[in-house]
Amino acid sequence: MLVPERGGAVVPVTVVLCVNGERHEFEIDPLERLADVLRDRIGLVGTKVGCGEGACGACAVLLDGRAVASCLLAVGSAAGHRIETIEGLSRDGLTPLQEAFIAADALQCGFCTPGQIVAATGLLRAEPAPTRAAVRQAMSGNICRCGCYPKIEQAILSCSGGDG
Amino acid sequence: MTRLVKTVTEMEGRFEEKWVLVEDDGLVSWEAEAALRHVGHPTPRLTGPQRVSGAARYTVDVALPGMLHAAVLRSPVAHGRVTALQVAAAEAIAGVRAVLTPASELGFQQRSGPLHDEPLYAGAPLAVVAADTLAAAREACRALAPSIEPLPFTVDIETAWQEQRFDGDLHEEARGDVEAALAAAAVRVELVVSTPGQLQTPIEPHAAVAWWKPDELVCFIATQGMFDARAELAKRFDLPPERVRVITEYVGGGFGGKQNAGFEALIAAELSRRTGRPVRLVLDRHGEQLDGGCRPATRQTVRLGATADGMLTAIDAEALVEFGMSGWRAVTTPALTLYRCADVRGIEANLRLELRRGNAFRAPAVMEGITALEQAIDELAIETGLDPLELRRRNFADRDQSADLPYTSNSLLWCYDRAAELAGWPDRDRWREPQADGLLRGMGCAAQIWWGGGGPPSHASCRLGGDGVAQVVVGVQDIGTGTLTAARMVAAEELGLPLDRVTVRGGDTAPAIYGPVAGGSQTTPSVMPAVRGAAAAVRRKLLALAGDVFEAEPDDLVVDDGRIRSRDGGLDEPYTAVTAKLGQASIDGSGNRGPNPDGYRANTFGCQIARVAVDPGTGSVRVEGIWAAHDIGRVINPLGASSQVEGGILQGMAYALSEQRVIDRTTGVPVNATMDDYKVPTMMDTPPIVVAFAPLPDTLLNTVGAKGLGEPPIIPTAAAIANAFRHATGRRAAALPLTRARVLEAIA
Ligand code: FES
Ligand code: FES
Repeated sequence: MLVPERGGAVVPVTVVLCVNGERHEFEIDPLERLADVLRDRIGLVGTKVGCGEGACGACAVLLDGRAVASCLLAVGSAAGHRIETIEGLSRDGLTPLQEAFIAADALQCGFCTPGQIVAATGLLRAEPAPTRAAVRQAMSGNICRCGCYPKIEQAILSCSGGDG
Repeated sequence: MTRLVKTVTEMEGRFEEKWVLVEDDGLVSWEAEAALRHVGHPTPRLTGPQRVSGAARYTVDVALPGMLHAAVLRSPVAHGRVTALQVAAAEAIAGVRAVLTPASELGFQQRSGPLHDEPLYAGAPLAVVAADTLAAAREACRALAPSIEPLPFTVDIETAWQEQRFDGDLHEEARGDVEAALAAAAVRVELVVSTPGQLQTPIEPHAAVAWWKPDELVCFIATQGMFDARAELAKRFDLPPERVRVITEYVGGGFGGKQNAGFEALIAAELSRRTGRPVRLVLDRHGEQLDGGCRPATRQTVRLGATADGMLTAIDAEALVEFGMSGWRAVTTPALTLYRCADVRGIEANLRLELRRGNAFRAPAVMEGITALEQAIDELAIETGLDPLELRRRNFADRDQSADLPYTSNSLLWCYDRAAELAGWPDRDRWREPQADGLLRGMGCAAQIWWGGGGPPSHASCRLGGDGVAQVVVGVQDIGTGTLTAARMVAAEELGLPLDRVTVRGGDTAPAIYGPVAGGSQTTPSVMPAVRGAAAAVRRKLLALAGDVFEAEPDDLVVDDGRIRSRDGGLDEPYTAVTAKLGQASIDGSGNRGPNPDGYRANTFGCQIARVAVDPGTGSVRVEGIWAAHDIGRVINPLGASSQVEGGILQGMAYALSEQRVIDRTTGVPVNATMDDYKVPTMMDTPPIVVAFAPLPDTLLNTVGAKGLGEPPIIPTAAAIANAFRHATGRRAAALPLTRARVLEAIA
């Protein structure tokens, strides 16, 4: 069998999430993955699940401003934290980083793109002028199978306040 | 005039003569020097805003009212007999609506059933459950608790070869007398090379959402070929194709692995038929890596004979393929076509193993073949003391060696020169001098050949409304290749409209405008001429109407930048001066891809150069740069095209360095069928990549002069890297990928 075991009866608890500035309350198994709650219960399907095992970064969301893999995060442990998804980042129109992704053609199929944007946003908030090496290090957890890396790097550096 | 004509079509090297409907559009291919406003200029993607904002809806995102979720139970063994399944226990789980097992009577026909009671590979589907929630479906899969009696299996090429476990006949193609030519050759080399099994690993796994309605089957499918998917569903379920609708708005990568309707759509449709509810079936990552498909591993032997000055006199290529696609033999095709040579033989054996059968993965078979052939050519260069590029130039084939036909265009020599110039090839030996950091460096090159000429049938429509905005409809989905963007550029060019006044729709079979599967690098050369034809039809009608409105001769009028102008400059009016008079009417045009020119072969060519740095202490190999020059005819969108080349190169690089399906020989089970263990490249692995395109449109081939680009860039990368490794270390590894263990062994 190729599905993770999760034996035992589930006791739902009340979990309050703050997602993109809005409050959501659920009676829920606290071990449910944040990614599934965002996608299936709140309908924020911009967050993608590429692997479900923390290895691709497609499911990245910002937790108190820091990029995390929402497929590895139990919803119970996300309670009380500020969660931002790709939809939240795009609420007031495209950000300069998103515009830079389009201009540089830093996307092909686009499936990894929300995760890339979220991760890069987290990076630029923490370090507004990252070096090229810092960008490559920080983004290495986000897989792009289409191979857009040269252009993702270029798009992020074009939004970096520094000189690379 | 509409005609039915007989023409030769090609898909990944399979040639077929067929009747196609052709409407003459009177267009001639844009000349090389034509001053074009949009085509040939870097253009951002049409769907960029949707994709960067998370608004794009992929198949995995489709949620319909009352939708059920399906999960798949897979075989944990390579070969076995399922003796029992606890179906009652699974059905007893709350929320379970349907359980399908090998014993179920299915509403569709398939030669080998989709569910197996004698699984022939680890990961083969045994049963499927649909339930109200995915959690319930998965729990029911666990409850099925299959009893499996293990059976013997073979998962390595060597044993299968000794046991002569052939899938289909041995395939042989030859010209001349290769044995005699080899015996007589002044210089001979022989090389045995193993290549790995490679998994497509699209980030969106295989997925389908099916809704069996009373009058129509609607399927959202992550597929590269929505019309193929429609045809497969219609055929299997015995429905008229008009009653099947396939919607594929966005696809999260395919790379060859998402063909037709596939297991997911067939099963989702069956579950929906039974339950009356929409059903979503998405492979989990483990399922995707086990059963999404793969490029089969190979073991190849290449023997070359040549004169002392490097003229090839014999090419003999043998390939053992680890259970590849049924009936698909192209590993030795490059040996038969890339170089001029009279005495040539290619032999391929497809071996049947208890492994997931290979399917298409970007440049299927040809990439494997080039990886071996181009390493052998490199050995010949060393043996003859010739510069590897010079050796290739000397053996340049200006016509198709197998078919003995001329090419519609061939800029391979340009590619050699350009790649050499960009990479600093003449100075390559300087990299072999002792390096301050103690690493061993070297440069290698490899050439590429692929088809990619496209052909009919492919259709498009164009509608110009009163607002002066044109809407183009094509019969293809955009899997990330930028097809819709290219269609917008071509239509805008022909209509003389700014880009933002052209919209393009694809990804839905409902308009019944046919387009080909996104495979074989055929989309651009097939679809873009149809788009141009449709736009031209609208332009002509518009100018005829403009002639009425402005009392001018339509032949004296041209369109440009959203305006209608007379050639003498006397008239300059916006489009809307005419279209506003249309009321609710519109100007409609249709277009199609014309036949391929008779007596030619259409191929793409290219050359890549790689530079590597090898750490002799740890065995790690880093690629420090790739320089790529490709001949794909006219480049519609240089921005998207460079992205596609970079993507192909990165997949090719990983084939040389890190990607391989690893099978545990004692159990027959793949041990790295997860994203964590299967090593696709990351940004940290990405070297600088320089891309150039030959500046020669293929004006013989079609009315836009374009050839395809999907496969070419992945083809030569691994061979170029292996040759750079040879240049750096003086050694050649017998197998790819160049893992640390293999590197240390090779340089010991
Ligand atoms: S889906 Fe979360 S890391 Fe891949
Ligand atoms: S754009 Fe396709 S995976 Fe990144």
